[in-house]
Amino acid sequence: MVKILLCCSAGMSTSMVVQRMEKAAVQLSLDARIEAVGMEEFRDKIADYDCCLLGPQIKYKLTDFQQRAAEFNKPVTVINTMDYGMLNGEKILKSALSLIDSHKGA
Amino acid sequence: MSTLADSLFGVIENRISPIAARLSSQRHVVAIKDGFIASMPFLIVGSFMLLFSHPPFSETSQWGFAQWWLGIVKQYNDQLMMPYNMTMGIMAVFITGAIAYNLAQSYKLNGLMAALLALMTFLVVAAPAKDGALSVASLGGEGIFTAILISLYCTEVMHLLVKYNIGFKLPEQVPPKIRQSFDLLIPIVVIFLTLYPLNLFMQSHFGLLIPQAIMAVFAPIISAADSLPAVLIAVLLCHLLWFAGIHGAAIVGGILQAFWLSNLGLNQEALTAGEPIPKIFIEPFWQFFITVGGSGATMGLVILYLRSRSAHLRSIGRLGLVPGMFNINEPIIFGSPVVMNPLLFIPFITTPLLNAIIAWTATRTNLINHVISLAPWTTPGPIGAAWSTGWDWRAVVLVLFLIGLSTLIYYPFFKMYERQLLQQEAEMAHETLAEEMK
Repeated sequence: MVKILLCCSAGMSTSMVVQRMEKAAVQLSLDARIEAVGMEEFRDKIADYDCCLLGPQIKYKLTDFQQRAAEFNKPVTVINTMDYGMLNGEKILKSALSLIDSHKGA
Repeated sequence: MSTLADSLFGVIENRISPIAARLSSQRHVVAIKDGFIASMPFLIVGSFMLLFSHPPFSETSQWGFAQWWLGIVKQYNDQLMMPYNMTMGIMAVFITGAIAYNLAQSYKLNGLMAALLALMTFLVVAAPAKDGALSVASLGGEGIFTAILISLYCTEVMHLLVKYNIGFKLPEQVPPKIRQSFDLLIPIVVIFLTLYPLNLFMQSHFGLLIPQAIMAVFAPIISAADSLPAVLIAVLLCHLLWFAGIHGAAIVGGILQAFWLSNLGLNQEALTAGEPIPKIFIEPFWQFFITVGGSGATMGLVILYLRSRSAHLRSIGRLGLVPGMFNINEPIIFGSPVVMNPLLFIPFITTPLLNAIIAWTATRTNLINHVISLAPWTTPGPIGAAWSTGWDWRAVVLVLFLIGLSTLIYYPFFKMYERQLLQQEAEMAHETLAEEMK
């Protein structure tokens, strides 16, 4: 199973993205657990997930969160602004999968 | 336009954003903000009960329902006010524990132990026991700044002692739970030795508890933060950051939260005492009047998008409508995009500023009630405005008016942007057609 964590200021707008990603996962018949949390929960949650995607509005947290995630050897990245705005679940899901793959490969 | 705009955007991107980013990643700022967030549910429920105990009718009302409600409130006042007294009334207690917990976590210290230590210290300075009772006078709004300072101080003491390895060294065989409780002995002693004498000195020389002294120091800043210029500066900063693609509300709101809560405490004290309500600038004021529909007051823009001739804007409008009703507008901000879009810069900045001026003046002149209660920030604008002003229908009218106004302000800029997009969409259609013809 793939486990993807999404994180934004309060976990509200990313939760809309999660719904779209879950739909896309069903279409790809992919076994995925995707969750959206607020910034303050990132610290406790990251260990349980394969990667974390940040909403573009908190891209300034990227270095901070990458350092934290590095302790558990998990990749973190920022979601593409336009995909985020258009709630393009499929594209975001695919980019998460390739992030996990390339991280494993590295 | 272009060179001026470019240099302005350059300043936002290269100067303001990094400072804001650093500030909002700063350990203590983060701990304070997360502490407030953790305390929020208690405060929302507590202030709801305050509203229930103060029905929005006059004593002389002839309406049966009003008389019935007023009767209940009169008869069961103490029982009804208990949830308020044990949440909003002692909010600094929750905040102290929550901030210390979060700061300790960020230092990888024991959060529970830090929270308990801070709680003890806060009670020592803010509610010294007398005749078998603790005074709650400084545990509410008045204690907020003390809560922040005490929780940071206590956790820093713990942190320093751990850093320099000062503490009891118990043998490995001792169970961890017991070792943890011994870890706290020295911090407790250190705090008693430092803060308690200060507290006694303040009381004997000035007749003040530490929270009262701290409030006296902060009083000028608190009253300045409630002025129109301060509101406008906060709104401007928040929206400049959003324009650079950074969550401005989280950053500016995080810093303002202490003032908002202290203002709310003052307003609620005035309400229970039956005095005129003093403060204007509290979170619901920001949320439901200034930024109705989300930062930039984009509700008006969503309405325009819904009927746009551009396919792109129409689909963004559809995506953004429902979240926008709950003040979530990331689809609009990133999908339009508003971020770094010169055509939408002017209305995105001016609409919330204008809303702030209108709503501030309306409150000041008592055209609408002051904010006296917290509603969750995701409450739809008109409902949230009514809820937080003690069910004032005039607040609903104002919010609807502000949505209409934002539609008007956004309209010309929306039209310009739409024309640009329509051109692009036409060119793209043309190209695909040309491809197919080949």
